[in-house]
Amino acid sequence: MAPRPAATGAAPSEPAAPEPAAPVAGAPVAAPAWPEDPAEFRAAVRDWCGGHVPAEWRRAQTGASEEEFAAFQKDWFQQLRRVGLAVPHWPREWGGGMSVAQQIVLYQELAARDAPRLVLAFVAIHHAASTLLVAGTGEQRRRHLPAILDGEIWVQGFSEPGAGSDLAALRATARREGDGYLVNGQKLWASGAVHADWCLLLARTDPHAPKRRGISYFLLDMRTPGIEVRPIRQATGSSHFCEIFLDDVLIPAANLVGPQDQGWRVAQETLGAERGMTMLELAERLGHVGFRWLAEACARPGPGGRRPIEDALVQDRLASLETEITGLRALCRDLVERHAAGRVGPADASIVKLYYSELLQRTMDFGVEIAGPGGQTVLEKPASSGWESGAWVLDFIGSWEWTIPGGTSEIQRTIIGERGLGLPREPMGD
Amino acid sequence: MPAGTADVRDELRAVARDLLARGQASDGVPWRQLADSGWLGLEVPEELDGAGVTFAETAVVLEELGRAAASTGYLGAAVLAAGTLAALEPDGERDELLRRTASGTQVLTAALVDGTDDGLGGAVPFRLEDRPAGPRLRGHAGFVPDAAEAGLLLLLALDPAGTPVVVPLGAEAAGLTVIPQPVVDATRRFGLVRAEAVTLDGVAVLRFGGDPRAAVHRLLDRAAVAMACDSLGLAEAMLEATVAHARVREQFGRPIGSFQAVKHACADLLVQAAVSRQLVREAVRRMAEDDPEAGVAASMAKSYACAAAVQAAGTAMQLHGGMGYTWESGIHVYLKRATLNRSLFGSPAAHRRRLARRYT
Repeated sequence: MAPRPAATGAAPSEPAAPEPAAPVAGAPVAAPAWPEDPAEFRAAVRDWCGGHVPAEWRRAQTGASEEEFAAFQKDWFQQLRRVGLAVPHWPREWGGGMSVAQQIVLYQELAARDAPRLVLAFVAIHHAASTLLVAGTGEQRRRHLPAILDGEIWVQGFSEPGAGSDLAALRATARREGDGYLVNGQKLWASGAVHADWCLLLARTDPHAPKRRGISYFLLDMRTPGIEVRPIRQATGSSHFCEIFLDDVLIPAANLVGPQDQGWRVAQETLGAERGMTMLELAERLGHVGFRWLAEACARPGPGGRRPIEDALVQDRLASLETEITGLRALCRDLVERHAAGRVGPADASIVKLYYSELLQRTMDFGVEIAGPGGQTVLEKPASSGWESGAWVLDFIGSWEWTIPGGTSEIQRTIIGERGLGLPREPMGD
Repeated sequence: MPAGTADVRDELRAVARDLLARGQASDGVPWRQLADSGWLGLEVPEELDGAGVTFAETAVVLEELGRAAASTGYLGAAVLAAGTLAALEPDGERDELLRRTASGTQVLTAALVDGTDDGLGGAVPFRLEDRPAGPRLRGHAGFVPDAAEAGLLLLLALDPAGTPVVVPLGAEAAGLTVIPQPVVDATRRFGLVRAEAVTLDGVAVLRFGGDPRAAVHRLLDRAAVAMACDSLGLAEAMLEATVAHARVREQFGRPIGSFQAVKHACADLLVQAAVSRQLVREAVRRMAEDDPEAGVAASMAKSYACAAAVQAAGTAMQLHGGMGYTWESGIHVYLKRATLNRSLFGSPAAHRRRLARRYT
């Protein structure tokens, strides 16, 4: 496991930012008083970014080792955390409490200032946190939410070799054994598992029940004996995804989330909970850095001295992409606002996921075309960046990491058709 | 209820949908009904007998007209003419015209484009010439909505100094000819308006408030966004009709909507409609607020929503199968209207060309 710097307990003084309140021992760091007014908040975040977004971080993160990546991520997370910007979506008592309007502004500004993304902490602050907040016990929350703020890293252990789109077909077993569960099986596509301290795990507790009714949801300590993590080399050449092998791994019963055999329901309730705001962040990234670089690439003279943008066809496609990205950003903003108002439709998250992932792919594809043969010579992309890094070919290849996981585009279209439009379901097993 | 709120718009939408669902709106909504509904004067100030609301409310009516593929004189009167009048310096004549627009006592339209350019260049269709015998007007405009039905035409012209102005002319003015321009879309009526040495005895020349060139561009943007609103409503109607069909139509012993090929095509239409709605909403908001930067949002909404509507109507025809191709099914009405909307007031390519000017 990668070495990591100790989490800082004290809040050093931060120039150009509101002073955080002094942390109380044993309590989460209180969020400093950022302005409520969106315009003032925007100016304050912009100001803070100006003093804190590491200069040249893309260069430093290009070709970074796993250790350098993790250390950089943890340091950036703590910088954001100290000033109350790491988990704005959490409830106030756990260190968040920003309004939806503030969160929108925050992600817009982080994107506009080209700040590094919180890649390593992503599952922890979004998926793990929402699971704990929605379905966790008080003890589980107290144990993990402050730890996540201190840098605890999480991974999701859902998919398996035989359970991808048909996730409920998962076969990892958890057998009751004394005061715990004995887990055996294999998990796949666990992103960032080599760095993970904890795992959100789905395993089958009742092999005889219909497939959705026999699954339980666990919190698994990755230091438990019997766990082996093997990175998988992906199409891009990097090894972000992992396999997790579970061989007689003992999980204490206290780490069960929700009732036994009700894990499918827990997963359903917690999976989509964070999608709105995380998609908004990604859409803003695509709208700022992503489109800006594409426009710049189009304006750069090619080998013959001719600039692609002088071609009417290039202009047309660029304008088309800008239009669609503008539509995507508005769609995401609308989704988070309706989420806050409790007016989200049953297919809205799928619409946004599908549209983002395919638009990302088309945008990167165009980047590859514009970059020409020269684009093929860019062999590395910076870690800690968004899905658009300017390394067009790798970004294009990497965009399948959006159209396949988290419900493939085909699954999303089925969800949209059935839940969004009420079309008849396909014939399916239980 | 206070004017211009979301509640008012919801109510307006419900009333419009209900009213247009009665009878066959695509065969024609009587002018009197349009006037009585109050829709013609939505943006006319209250002191001139209008509702005193904004383009945001007009947009609601436009969406519903598109949803019903309604044949009305709304585009010429409420979108183009009322918009043109509102952009003029207030004076007695203008105010009287607005009052008569709101009440429906004057059937009118506006001729804003010459019909030969891409609809975005702001090529002004008419010229005002100074002659010893008095000012004279010449020029021609194409695809003027509801021109043959209008008793009064607002002609956009350049005065001798090259400044855009508006000349209100009665349809019977000597030297003015209006020739109907039949189009494939049976729900819309257009005319070619030609002025050959029309002498302007006693005709007031109306001037724009503020920068006249900017005012003309705003009018064209307004017309473009109106097309986008119509297309959005049209696309949603086509999606709903297709979903309703796919739920009940059975082949191979199953509703066709259970097949992924059909279901996923419908899902794509829903995604496109959601994106269209966001782009149209943003463009409408900026138009209603008179945002000087509204042009970008207008071009995005027009190019995306109008293209998406053609796709929606085309997919609807495809998924309705053989019946969809019949005259009786009525889907052709929507498909034709969608193609017309796409080409009026700037094609998608023309709007994207305009967006792309910001890149260089």
